[in-house]
Formats: sequence, structure tokens, C-alpha cells
Amino acid sequence: MRKFLAIVGREWRAYFFSPLAYVILAAFLLMNGMIFAAIVSFLNTPGAPKGQALPFLFTNTYFWIFNLFVVPIITMRLFAEERKSGTIETLLTSPVSETTVVLGKFTGALGFFLTLWAPTLVYVLILRSQTPIDLGPVAAGYLAIALIGAYFLSIGTFASTLTKNQIVAAILAFAMLIPVFSAGLLESLSNDPGKRDTLGYLNLWDHMEEFSRGVVDTRRVVYYLSATAFFLFLTTVTLSAKKETP
Amino acid sequence: MIEVENLTKRFPTQLAVSDVSFSVKEGEIVGFLGPNGAGKTTAMRVLTGFLPPTSGTARVAGYDVVTRSEQARASLGYLPESAALYPEMRVREYLAYRARLEGVRGAEVARRVREAIDNCLLEEVADRKVENLSKGFRQRTALAGALVHRPPVLVLDEPTVGLDPMQIIKIRETIRLLGRERAVLLSTHILPEVDAVCDRVLIIDRGSIVAEGTAAELRSRLAGAPVVRASFAGQIEARDTLAGLPGVTSVSETSADGETRVRLECAARADPREEVFRTAVARGWILRELVLESVSLEDVFVRLTRHEEIAPAPAPSEDTVGEAAGEAPEEIPS
Repeated sequence: MRKFLAIVGREWRAYFFSPLAYVILAAFLLMNGMIFAAIVSFLNTPGAPKGQALPFLFTNTYFWIFNLFVVPIITMRLFAEERKSGTIETLLTSPVSETTVVLGKFTGALGFFLTLWAPTLVYVLILRSQTPIDLGPVAAGYLAIALIGAYFLSIGTFASTLTKNQIVAAILAFAMLIPVFSAGLLESLSNDPGKRDTLGYLNLWDHMEEFSRGVVDTRRVVYYLSATAFFLFLTTVTLSAKKETP
Repeated sequence: MIEVENLTKRFPTQLAVSDVSFSVKEGEIVGFLGPNGAGKTTAMRVLTGFLPPTSGTARVAGYDVVTRSEQARASLGYLPESAALYPEMRVREYLAYRARLEGVRGAEVARRVREAIDNCLLEEVADRKVENLSKGFRQRTALAGALVHRPPVLVLDEPTVGLDPMQIIKIRETIRLLGRERAVLLSTHILPEVDAVCDRVLIIDRGSIVAEGTAAELRSRLAGAPVVRASFAGQIEARDTLAGLPGVTSVSETSADGETRVRLECAARADPREEVFRTAVARGWILRELVLESVSLEDVFVRLTRHEEIAPAPAPSEDTVGEAAGEAPEEIPS
């Protein structure tokens, strides 16, 4: 556990030593600032329903575009950088299991992802000081962000073990995230009820809307957690297999 | 502490390590010597659990590197050839991270970090970022990282590469000190390093161990025929006379700038220097130089690892009697 925490801490801190982290953070806050401004101006229109605007923070198109682009950039360095520089050799010859290494790096990346979201809590506090807010849906929304974030980050972590080149790792992650995200969107194109059910199970966009209304459906939670576990398992397997060809 | 038996590592395109066996005891520093690409790094990577062996076994501190990998890894400190570090970390921070990864706990971490900083002479850069350090300090930081948890076994892949002469001397002192109570395996292609640091040498070439022993043993065992060099003033015909001396098997002679130089290859343990002197006196030759060449570890190494295709061509000006001295020497049986 101590070794796991040592890895998590190093990974999380490593983000703040690269300018990339600040660029991402700035872009992210700019985007959310614009959305917040839109929410505020919506609330300012006469007759606006109270407490209806906040879900918009989680269910707009920007949210998804941002996640699809930013997650690969967060995860691309996790293994590719260490393989390129050679530090992977000292890491994997330390008395730490590969699973611990994978979980540690993944958790560090998740920590950074959540750090990006942390400042948006200020928006919630500001809104709350001006208008009554139901905190239930807000909590559900943040839970969904953490879960979907973990899911996407696990795919990115896996992609990072496939190559020594960080850019290639980012592109691979993006290429894997697009089908994961868009498969569910095909739901509306299908007439077959069976297919619609299956695709609906994968429809992240709709899930997010449910969460932001305060509906925490355990099927969604199970889907995200099991998919995350699956990709982290694949990551561990690839990491062991890659030992053959340093 | 290190036991390697019949270790083989095959890559899809090449056989990197072929049936290698050796052991390193506690308190012993063993040098792994070989030309670049001989398989040193691959053998070390198998030993440290970074690469799985194709066949054979390796044990570190009694733990098999495959079946008890984590225990084996906990018992060793490894300095990889790349000496790769995280550029954004400070030296002290990096060493603390390494110590924690190795399972050092709590207040002990700071103590071990201080010890490693002292051992590897890193005090002046301890709070600087790795990316701003010179190659020498980076190398020492990587070495400190390998010993921060006081492992009983050290595996060091070219520990002095990139250091200046003063640093090399200091790091060698450190390694010798550490080697008193540890088993150390260090690889190098720098020959004086072996003489300066190692108790025993393993010469590896093309994946196999071709010789093993102390530097002195290797010298005497593989020295080959003794060679005496002499030079005389003026242009003289010394060749045939000297070739007739007892113990001399072949003579080569060159003259230039009013000087005649001869090189006598002798039978094993023969030393014809006194005979050469007497002959010179009797003939009235003016002797300027008379030397019995000592065999260096370089010679041993070159003889063992020279492959036919890179054997030097005979010098064109050389005039040879007896066995052709310029021809590639016969393979030394390993």
C-alpha cells in the first residue's frame, strides 16, 4: 500500500511539473467558465425555473469533447514516457508488482483528472449563495464524472503501454475512446428493441443526463467499474508481455 | 548471493545470452567484462527480473528471479545502463521515492536518503532538479537510487560511464567500500576499472563466458608467449643472429631513422634479455632499449574477444622471420 501511494504521489505531482498540465487546466477552466456564464445568464432571464440550470454543467457537448481530447493527453505519458526514457527498468525491477504499478499510475492520472474538476465546486457554491440548489443531483453529477473519467482514463492507460511514443499513445487512446463514446449514440438510429436496449446500456450521453438529474442507476455504475477493471487488467497483461521486448 | 546456472536468453532475432553460469559471493566484487553487444546488459536484465530467461535459472539472495521475483528484486539494487531518472524530480525527492518503492518506511526514509547522498557525494546537488544536473551527477544519483535501500546484492551496469576521472576514482572507492559486505556484479568495457575494483572477472563475448578468474590469473593463464623488444643504434643485421638465441621462436626487424628495432617472440617462460645483451656486446651493437613486454589485461581481452574479421592486417614494413608475426594469432581455447 505504501508503495502504491508512493507511485500515486509521484504520478500526480509529475503532471504539475509539465506545462501541459497548466495548459489543460487553463483550457478546462475557460470552458467551464463559459458554461457557468451561460448558466448564470439563463438563470437571470425572468421566469427561469429555479434549480434547473445546473445539470447543464455536466451534460453539454463541450463536456464530452473535452473529455475525449483531454483524457488521452493525461494518460499518454503514463507508460510511454517511462519506456522511452528507460525509467521503466528501475520501476519494474523494484519489488513492486505490475498490478501495483498500473493501479498507482492510473490512480495518479485519475487524481489529476479530479483536480481539474475541483475548481468547478466553486461555481456550485456561488450559485448556491444566490439560488436554492438541490445538492443531490450535483453529487450524482460529480460521481458520474469520476466514474466515466476512470473508465476513459483506464482506456488511455492501456493505450500508453502499447507504444514508446507519447503522441501515438494519445492517438490510440482517442481512437479507442471514440467508438466507446459513440456506440451508445447509435441507439436513436435503431428500431430493433433488443439493439436499442444494448446500445442504451452503453449510451454515456444519456447516462450522464440521468446522473445530472440525480438518478444513480447501479447498472451504469457496474458498467463503468467493470469496464475500468477490464482495461486495467489488459494494461497489466500488456505490461508483462512487453517485458519480452524492451 | 548471485547464482546463475545455464542461463540462456533468446530474442526473436538473436541469441543474446547462451548457457551462462556463474556466481557472486557476499563480499565479492565481480566484473562483467565484454565488448559492446556481448550480452552483459541482457544477462543483467534477466538477473534483475526485467527480462524473463528463455531457459536456465538465476537466484538472487537465494530467491529465484522467476518464481520468487518480488523477493529477489527486494534483495537487489540495480543501476541500469541508461541510468534513467525522472528529470522533473529533485535528487532528494527521487531518492526518497526510490526508498519508498523499495519498502523503506517512515523516518527511516530520510535516514537512508541522507546515507545515499553521502555515499555518492551528492550533497551539493541534493536539492536540485535532475534535469539541471551534469551527466556525472545524474549517474551518481542513479547509483544512489540503486543503493538507497541497502540491498545485499548490487547489479551495476557500467556505473562509471560519463564520469570525469576524479569522479571515477571516487565512485570506484564507493563501490569497493560497498562491496565489503555485499555481492556486487558490475559490467564494464573499461579494462582498468576491472583492475581497480574487481576481485574477479568474467569475460563475456557473443553471449558466452569465455574466461573467468582474477585479473592476475587471467593474465598468467592467457598471456601467451613472452615478447622482448630491443632497439639498436644504426642500421644493423641482427635478425638472424638473434633468431638463433635459445628460447627465441621468431624475430621481426624494422629499421628507420638510424635505428634498428627488433621484436623477439619467445617460448613460454623464456627470458632471453641477458643473451640479447651479451650478443650486442660481443658484436659491438649499441643497445638503446631492451624490454620484456608485460601482458596487459587489454591483451587478454583483445585475444579473447577478437573475431577473425577484425584481426589487424600485418604491418607492410615488417620483415619477418620464422612464424609470420603479423598473422592473426591462433584462437585461444576458452
